[in-house]
Amino acid sequence: MKRLLVWALATAGGLAFAAVLAYAVLSALKPGGEVLAVPLRWWPSRFEWHNFALPFEQTPFARYYANSVFVGVTVTLLNLVTCTLAGYSFSKFSYPGRNVAFVVVLATLMVPLEVIYVPLYALIYDLGWVNSFAGLIIPAGTSAFGIFLMRQAIDSVPDELLEAARLDGAGVLRTLLTIVGPLVRGPMAALALFIFLMNWDSHLWPLLVASDDDHRTLPVGLAAMQANNLGASGIPMMMAAAVLALVPTVALFLSLQKRFVEGVAMSAGLR
Amino acid sequence: MTTTTARTVRVSGSGRAPARRRRVHGRDLVGAALSLPALLLFAFFAIYPGLRVFYLSLFDYSLTAPPEFVGLDNFRFLAEDPRFRQAVLNSVFYTVGTYLPALALALALAVALRRKTRGLGWVRLLYFLPVATSWVAISVVWRLVLHPDGLLNETFHLDVNWLTSSSTARWALVIMGIWKETGFFLILFLAGLARMPEEVHEAALVDGANPWQRFWRVTFPLLKPITAICSVIAVIRGFQAFSPQVVLTGGAFDTEVVNLFVYKTAFESARMGRASAVAVLMFALLIAVTLVQLRVFRRTDT
Repeated sequence: MKRLLVWALATAGGLAFAAVLAYAVLSALKPGGEVLAVPLRWWPSRFEWHNFALPFEQTPFARYYANSVFVGVTVTLLNLVTCTLAGYSFSKFSYPGRNVAFVVVLATLMVPLEVIYVPLYALIYDLGWVNSFAGLIIPAGTSAFGIFLMRQAIDSVPDELLEAARLDGAGVLRTLLTIVGPLVRGPMAALALFIFLMNWDSHLWPLLVASDDDHRTLPVGLAAMQANNLGASGIPMMMAAAVLALVPTVALFLSLQKRFVEGVAMSAGLR
Repeated sequence: MTTTTARTVRVSGSGRAPARRRRVHGRDLVGAALSLPALLLFAFFAIYPGLRVFYLSLFDYSLTAPPEFVGLDNFRFLAEDPRFRQAVLNSVFYTVGTYLPALALALALAVALRRKTRGLGWVRLLYFLPVATSWVAISVVWRLVLHPDGLLNETFHLDVNWLTSSSTARWALVIMGIWKETGFFLILFLAGLARMPEEVHEAALVDGANPWQRFWRVTFPLLKPITAICSVIAVIRGFQAFSPQVVLTGGAFDTEVVNLFVYKTAFESARMGRASAVAVLMFALLIAVTLVQLRVFRRTDT
């Protein structure tokens, strides 16, 4: 009985949490006059699908979106390569300096972007990478968490398999591609999901290095659109834009729920 | 590269014992080289700026002119700058206000929803959803939620100007923060509970402990390591806050958090040295908080 009460409470809370997202979607579909109706009107009198065209008609929203997809996918692929290679290197080879390098990599986990972005920006400025995709992509090209994750994963691949591949004449990279890779597909998928989500959310760094319309990613573009549309008349367009920006990550979450949850838990070093 | 390596291996593979030792060495060299892309990226884009931030904190630097050494002037300035002090207070308020309730709520929900019943999976899902949203997009949504005629006011029949008053703007950000972050910690606590042996609970049940006792005497002590990790992560995330403040208030009404202060100092006032000094202080604070929290939790662990 008591347990049922607890579950009912938890469910009510969960519905309240989800209500915010339902409100966002429904508001994006309301005719302009109904968004701020008093008293609150949940269901639109008619669905104003045209709202979803507004950001594309009035702002370079399509460009922001394409930039975010491009940068997100590129950064994810780059991380998959650099983290898997480094994880393989740290896990299956022995050479002087290996452990020191790994510890240094882990130590960078302690230093968030927020601490280093001023000199990092100065470096990118000196390299001439301000307002370029290079400035958005290359500094984000690897991740300490990813290396840690891939090293853990590759640790569990038995040495005997690698030895057998070696005796068959397979080189280091071919062993990685044909033996190790297929065995660590799960962690690689988790890593890809994690990096993509992080990148999709990334705001501060793109704001610094990509402030022109040609390179702005969604968070930067969306924040700029919001700053230009503070009045009530801009609300339908802004809600439509926000909902469109939320779709990819929420859809990824709903379809890959288990991996998503594992990824978050792993990022805290719990698994 | 693959072919070269493969050939090397094959050629030396026909050799005798000494050649074999050299061959292993060669493989390890190739293996070592595989870490280079990542290590070079770290060296340039994490370690170098990480060291340089300490250096720059001692300079007056505007990006376009060469840095000018000013000793500890930047730190002296910050010590007396009321705006910086306010930024620190704002960050502390946001961090404590958001993450203390979020952690408590997440812990309570984790205990309530830990069973692997199908229905409960759906309830968990509802709390996880905000984790999958991006900060800027969801902040745009929350501008409407917090609008004087928005969801929050209309649902609870309030008449509060959430985002345009110094007494409420900070609370508005906290409310949104709790909504956004609870699910993240719920995931962590559930992962922690899933690793907890079921027998411990059964033993407590047999002993006749009531649910309250079971939680405080059995579950919570076992969850302490995870709670420690969660609270460290919470402080770090709290001090990293940026996007909601930018989108919802632009830092007005006492919501200019430290990170936003750094951004404005560096990129609106072009005071890169002073901004670096703040970053150094923030780094020191994060390290200190991490060490203190881990120690506190370790002490009470035994």
